[in-house]
Amino acid sequence: MTPPLFEIDALQVAVEDKQIVNGLSLTLRPGEVHAIMGPNGSGKSTLANSLMGHPRYTIHGGDIRLEGESVVELAPDERARLGLFLAFQYPTDIPGVSMINFLRRAMSARRGEEIPVREFRQVLNEILGRLQMDEQFVRRYVNDGFSGGEKKRAEILQLGLLEPKVAVMDETDSGLDIDALRIVSEGINTFHSDDNAILLITHYQRILRYVQPDHVHVLIDGRIVESGDASLAERLERDGYEPFMAPAKEEVLTS
Amino acid sequence: MTTATLDAPSESEIKPDDLRAQVEALSRSKGEPDWLLAFRLASLEQALGMEWWTGQEESWRRTPRERLPRRARVGNVAGGSNGTSISAPPHVFAPDAHAGMVHQIDGRVAASDLAADARAQGVIIKPLAVAAREHAGLMQEWLGVVGPPLDRYDAFGRALWTQGVFVYAPRGAVVDESLFYLITQDVRQGDHWHYTLVVAERESQISLIDAADANDRQAKIGEPPLIHASVELIAEDGANLQFASVQRWHRQTAAISTTRGRVGRDASIRVTTAAFGADLDKQRIDMDMSQNGGFAEMRGLFVGDGKQHIEHVTRQHHKGVGATSDLLIRGVLTDESQAVQYGLIRIEPEGQKTNAHQTMRNLLLDDGAGADPIPMLEIEADDVKCSHAAAVGPVDPDQLFYLQARGIPPKVAERMVVRGFLSEIADGVPDEHMREVIDELVEIQLEPAGPAS
Repeated sequence: MTPPLFEIDALQVAVEDKQIVNGLSLTLRPGEVHAIMGPNGSGKSTLANSLMGHPRYTIHGGDIRLEGESVVELAPDERARLGLFLAFQYPTDIPGVSMINFLRRAMSARRGEEIPVREFRQVLNEILGRLQMDEQFVRRYVNDGFSGGEKKRAEILQLGLLEPKVAVMDETDSGLDIDALRIVSEGINTFHSDDNAILLITHYQRILRYVQPDHVHVLIDGRIVESGDASLAERLERDGYEPFMAPAKEEVLTS
Repeated sequence: MTTATLDAPSESEIKPDDLRAQVEALSRSKGEPDWLLAFRLASLEQALGMEWWTGQEESWRRTPRERLPRRARVGNVAGGSNGTSISAPPHVFAPDAHAGMVHQIDGRVAASDLAADARAQGVIIKPLAVAAREHAGLMQEWLGVVGPPLDRYDAFGRALWTQGVFVYAPRGAVVDESLFYLITQDVRQGDHWHYTLVVAERESQISLIDAADANDRQAKIGEPPLIHASVELIAEDGANLQFASVQRWHRQTAAISTTRGRVGRDASIRVTTAAFGADLDKQRIDMDMSQNGGFAEMRGLFVGDGKQHIEHVTRQHHKGVGATSDLLIRGVLTDESQAVQYGLIRIEPEGQKTNAHQTMRNLLLDDGAGADPIPMLEIEADDVKCSHAAAVGPVDPDQLFYLQARGIPPKVAERMVVRGFLSEIADGVPDEHMREVIDELVEIQLEPAGPAS
């Protein structure tokens, strides 16, 4: 078996002293797509943000390893430069900072050297075209006044430009109409290769019709309670989260 | 002597007779016409009849007493100051393209020009002393018409000015490119009083950029100079006047300015100020919205470092019907710098259908920095729309996280957010070159520690 690309090892995460992720473990190998599915409040966004190193989330147990190296002590920008990527559920708007300036800096940071303007333009225009985005789009300020769909496309644009090793997609499908969902999914599929891995974090099964997962995990109360193949997602679609939640609730009550 | 006991070293005794003699000598040395000497002397009498600020007044309560001298000295008038030319290096902010320009160093003229098209339309940009001789009638008509002096500094400014500019656009004149008034402050020349008069006649359109730089910012100077700038902006009915001022005074300077705008019927005045230098900078902007349908915009931008104190005191004074005024201040404070904004919207009973708004936002980048935004509303009309918003806080951590999550290091990310924050104010400057200059100055000012350069 190929060595793991990304490992989450007994991870415990708290927000303001409240433990949200309770010893979660997961291993992604190169070329794999994993989906973590969970209801509201199960810890999906906490997991996504803590993987990237958001300062609001405190990791007080376990480890996160990228290509065998622990990244928990690293700042978000260091993790990003090593090839970890988070597609935000709610991308932050930054008025006054143009997309094009931001994208070029991000790409240069990821590469470790200034990217030549011509090459940047070329790559940028190619991906813009693929995502059916107007070239004028990058003249706008980062996420400022973007529609929900534009924000998600902009995240996929960054995914394509930065070519990370591991992409964590936090509810990328939420708020998208069917056409946008298809375009965004194609963007993810185009990015995906045998060398990288994708962790899709989602509430609904619908994006999984477009992006085929190798493994599906059910997240309840900050733990993975069940893992399986793509058919698990279909089961969830049919039966909902209820069957998985009951034991977890009981546990809380008896503890 | 009634002023024998002085409680602060910055306060110096006023000797009326000496001042009268000095003003007369100053005016004579500049070869000014009699009416201008009379204007100076009348202003001086007004000033002598006023008191200095005490710190008890609402808009002075937060001004550090020891850092803004209460004194009135005629600035050093070096030889050749009667508006004659000297040779000097170009001003650091000098633009590539412009409709007209006056560059002054310590009252002496280093450069002066005006594009043929503007000249053909009758537009004037000249050093004040030159205009007083060559356009005496016009200047006499407009000088001081914005109203009586705001306070003692403003009154002394009218009496003691040693350099200034007169900008005039006749009825219907339209100049697309900006005019530039460039000042190089000779830091060894002590106190200075500047005077800027801009008149946009009916239906005209004009923009002036007032850019001031100190000539030796590294120099250690004995006594910190006091610089006062009086700015009078007049937009007659239907005129559009834009004014931007950018200052990078020497770091020991105490700078105070009084900008008065008079907005005519359906006219507009847009003011943008950017403050980078000085130990203390107190900017007063007063907009007279007496006419119906007028529009005024006041934008202020600053980056404070060290122990700088940066203050904005503004008044949006509405008497006309259906006029709009907007105040937007954004500042960034590092180290132990402090900012104060005192913004008053005053609407008289006749000022119905007024739209008046104020926004003051301060980003604090260091624990020692602070800001005190104080919006004030005095509304006596019942059919108006007013709003005010004030904010003080650090850079939004979510913005920083977003940029960091893309590999951008924290310091660079912070810089990007800050420059973005300020660029929305700088966008109001009607000249691309100047917007770039401001962006560079922001960058320089944000450089950590070390002497300002």
